[in-house]
Amino acid sequence: MPAGGLMLVLRRRAGESFLIGDEIEVELLAVTQQGAKIGIRAPKETIVLRKELKITQQQNAQAAIGVSFCDIAQTIKKLRP
Amino acid sequence: MRPVETKHFGTLPCDDGSVFDFPQGLPAFEEEKSFVLIEAPETAPLVFLQSMARAGLCFAALPILAADETYQLAVAPEDLAALGLESGRQPALGREVTVLALVSLHDELLATANLMAPVVLNVKLRRGLQAIRRDARYSHQYPVVPHPAKTNAAWPPEAVCPPEDLC
Repeated sequence: MPAGGLMLVLRRRAGESFLIGDEIEVELLAVTQQGAKIGIRAPKETIVLRKELKITQQQNAQAAIGVSFCDIAQTIKKLRP
Repeated sequence: MRPVETKHFGTLPCDDGSVFDFPQGLPAFEEEKSFVLIEAPETAPLVFLQSMARAGLCFAALPILAADETYQLAVAPEDLAALGLESGRQPALGREVTVLALVSLHDELLATANLMAPVVLNVKLRRGLQAIRRDARYSHQYPVVPHPAKTNAAWPPEAVCPPEDLC
């Protein structure tokens, strides 16, 4: 995930777009009550992921790493009233 | 009943009723299409999602209401459709779906549950997926065993593992 730093904020209307570098174009297609519809044109090797999917992948990888049953047993003990 | 090799419990006979298809796998584990839900009084409230194909892959989880008793489901319409559920409304917890929060242990003192992306199991079709919420209402790292340093809780961190009855 991108490191911290300043966030560039742009105001765009439906149909307007902006570029990231030379090869990535992001267009705001429509804005509705449900949210903004965004189109992305990028080289096919560019990975575009919803951020929450990336977070979930990382969280799942963390949840799957080799915890011992001892650690789990400790957790169970603490979860019980 | 068929035997399944598990990460923590050796080989278990497993009832087909507890085996769930995950047509999309789980994010980061897209190739794992089948998990068995292991629930045992000895490990309550924790339950386990054990991969049928990979003995070494087993997630600890909490029933969502055990993680947060006021939890409100918000499964996106496309996820409801993928689960074979009616898409105009949220499914009934318990009756139609079992909902689990995957648990991460960060060290021996802190455990968190992913409330942002609960695993939703269609009980009738025995199909599951991880339903990432579209809103930002819940954390992906909700502390279920809060860190003593942050809460001043009075657990003495126990150096000695394990409680004999569980290990």
